[in-house]
Amino acid sequence: MIRLSRLQVKVIERIAATIPLALAVALAAFVLMRAIPGDPVDIMMGEGASSSGEEVAALRAQLGLDEPIHRQLSSYLKRLFNGDLGYSITRSRPVAEMIREALPATIELAVYAILFALALGIPVGVVSALRHNTAFDRVSTAVSFIGISLPAFWLGIVGILVFSMTLRWLPTSGRIPYGLEPRHITGLLTLDALLTGNMPAFGSALRHICLPAVTLGLGVAAVIARITRSSMLDVLGSDFVLFARAKGVPERAVTIRHALRNAMIPTVTLVGLQFGSLLGGNMIVETIFGWPGLGRVVVDAIFARDYPVVQASVMVYALTFVMVNLITDLIYTVLDPKMALQ
Amino acid sequence: MQMRYRWVTAISICVLLLCMAIPRPAAGGDSTKALSVIVDTIADRSDEAQAIAEYLRAVGVSAEVRVWEWSALKERILAGERQMYLTDWGSAYFDPFDLAVPKLKTGDRGNYSFYSNPRFDAALDTALAVRDHEARRRAYFEAQKILRPDAPWVFGYSLRETEAARADVLDWQPSMDSRMNLHDVGLKRGDTIVVGMAADGMLTLDPAAYRDRATETVIRNMFDGLVTRTVDGRIVPEIAESWSAVSDTEYIFRIRRGVKFHNGDALTADDVVFSFDRVIRDGAMGGRTSPRKGLLGPLAAVEKVDSHTIKVRLSSPFPVLLQAMVHVQIVPRDYLMRVGDDAFARKPVGCGPFRFVEGRLDDKVVMERFDGYYGGSPDLPPVGSARVTRAIFRMMPDPTVRVAALKTGEVHIIQTVPAHLASSLARDRNLQVKSAEGTRVYCIEMNCARPPFDDVRVRVAVNHAIDWDAILTAIYLGSATRLATAFLPSGFGYDAELAPYSYDPNKARALLAEAGYGGR
Repeated sequence: MIRLSRLQVKVIERIAATIPLALAVALAAFVLMRAIPGDPVDIMMGEGASSSGEEVAALRAQLGLDEPIHRQLSSYLKRLFNGDLGYSITRSRPVAEMIREALPATIELAVYAILFALALGIPVGVVSALRHNTAFDRVSTAVSFIGISLPAFWLGIVGILVFSMTLRWLPTSGRIPYGLEPRHITGLLTLDALLTGNMPAFGSALRHICLPAVTLGLGVAAVIARITRSSMLDVLGSDFVLFARAKGVPERAVTIRHALRNAMIPTVTLVGLQFGSLLGGNMIVETIFGWPGLGRVVVDAIFARDYPVVQASVMVYALTFVMVNLITDLIYTVLDPKMALQ
Repeated sequence: MQMRYRWVTAISICVLLLCMAIPRPAAGGDSTKALSVIVDTIADRSDEAQAIAEYLRAVGVSAEVRVWEWSALKERILAGERQMYLTDWGSAYFDPFDLAVPKLKTGDRGNYSFYSNPRFDAALDTALAVRDHEARRRAYFEAQKILRPDAPWVFGYSLRETEAARADVLDWQPSMDSRMNLHDVGLKRGDTIVVGMAADGMLTLDPAAYRDRATETVIRNMFDGLVTRTVDGRIVPEIAESWSAVSDTEYIFRIRRGVKFHNGDALTADDVVFSFDRVIRDGAMGGRTSPRKGLLGPLAAVEKVDSHTIKVRLSSPFPVLLQAMVHVQIVPRDYLMRVGDDAFARKPVGCGPFRFVEGRLDDKVVMERFDGYYGGSPDLPPVGSARVTRAIFRMMPDPTVRVAALKTGEVHIIQTVPAHLASSLARDRNLQVKSAEGTRVYCIEMNCARPPFDDVRVRVAVNHAIDWDAILTAIYLGSATRLATAFLPSGFGYDAELAPYSYDPNKARALLAEAGYGGR
């Protein structure tokens, strides 16, 4: 018999727990979408040209929307268990195909936003804590409050006006120009470009992702800076840091090996949570930058009452969120081995 | 003790109920009551709604604005629960057929004001039953004359559609039907033209599977129809060489010879019959029915006469048939039947000036010049292959970003320039700004079936109470055209003599008083 470590058991448990969660989310999305007013066929047919009541009714029947809701739900769940996410009502194509196409763009953007936020937030937080109550600390505190408060739609537009229109450093929108796309492997353009050694594509994709990632990540960077600063201050004041200093450990080692490592635990929790909200909150950024990701697909689908698309995307969001949080939990155990045993 | 409290409570409730039951004297005397309305709007027009409420308050109406999501509002409107609502309606046929008829004919599908006037209905019926242009025009003129004094709406305005392009784009002209005809457009430098679309994405690449304009704008560069329109809305032949009406319900179309699809197949009557059949027959798109079916009205069948002639049969007269034909794009029968509907939508083949290369519907669609193109409509010069070798449509939903991308030269043409940016673009010597007549009516519909708007005096009063010119100048900076009724200047049968209601608050107050509503 295979003996699993406690950690492995925990991971398997957590993954198994996502199944009922996914089901609950699917159910909630199904019911809520039908509870809001408006009808997909009605919206799709638009108003400009003639469409009779019978025509609308016929289309609705064809899509199964005229059946009682429990019948619709049972056939939806049946298809779901067979791995079939259904057909988009307005775009008449498989939902799975739409998500497969859009998800990599969203993930790439969220990853870059988080990387940017970490790269900016952690050093600023650490330095603020080390130079507690100095001018740097006060300025960084003020700036991070502004960063938290700035809405993405404003930041994005201003970024475009400054860096694209005036300075001409970065492109205004899109992911990559036609003709430069790397061979499709993962769908993450920068990664695909690196994997295929296509440096022009990598450079172009990186330039395109700069503004959206910074727009999306700036708020998160500010939060990370705040959290890192306060947990760093906590840790720096604790007994073991005093002990390490008393032992004569060099200050650099005290800061990085002892203090920062422990101070990172709240930051990692926060990043896990923020990654989820980035996936959700990127709808605005995707719209501004014409970024072909899942956020735009969902917003569009909600307005069009495209039930199958909304249901499937909400499930994808939920599962991604759960997975990211599982990963953060695993990172804890690296930062603090005691946690694996708890 | 407890008993006494119960008594006190009971008596207070009785007093309260009595107070509520006693009629209170209305604010302007005994015979008049105050008029109070809620102005419903969607978020996009909430500024306008606030201004309108302000004008209503100025004539003694107590007005509040409520902002809704459209589908939620529509449901309540159709249930007859709302009073007045800012709405809009587009016309694709340049004829009241798909505007005044659905919006104002008794019981029609878009009649959210519940307006009903048998004389108006009769005038519309006349215009829809005959083929003679002059008779139709007269009937529409009469309908407008009936409609104006009835005032079922606060008649509003239409907006010009403004587009912009780089100065090195040659022979570019926006069109009323939002077609972006890249076949005729040239570039001073370069061979790839990039268009910034005002859309989140296209719905499909299959010309039978959509109902929105963005999709059509892109698709019509890859597909041609039997007929097409000039930028000002005139119908001219495209794949059809000529046509004639055999009777009110039968038309013959002769198809141009030598037209080829992008895969090399020659276009014949079979492809035309198949393309129409796919739209009008239930379940003809791999089991699904085309959402475009309703666009063709009473078109009953399209039959092959010989290899290059078809006959169109109608179940009833359809004077806007040619306008409707513009929106049916011809697909290759053999190819589509071989690959199936889904594969066709992924790799479409048409006979238009550009052939599909690759694309993602919410990102960009790339096309290349089709060198075997038959040349296009002889009435829309230049005839021949497209002038640019490649065309790219990019989805850019944010207007500021579209403008930025145009200024930096990332794109050559952009759709839908917001009014407040148009003048700054026009001053830029590297750019050109042009606009086309609008095809959408913006108005305020009133619920004519319920008080207070079942009284025509109240409806006319509200029409006089609002200073549209001031509102339109402030919000749309002159890109809006006031309308006298529900008929558009871009549409057939528009009576330019009819004047819009004047801004006359005194007349509005007088009419309200006459209807029994006092001022504050």
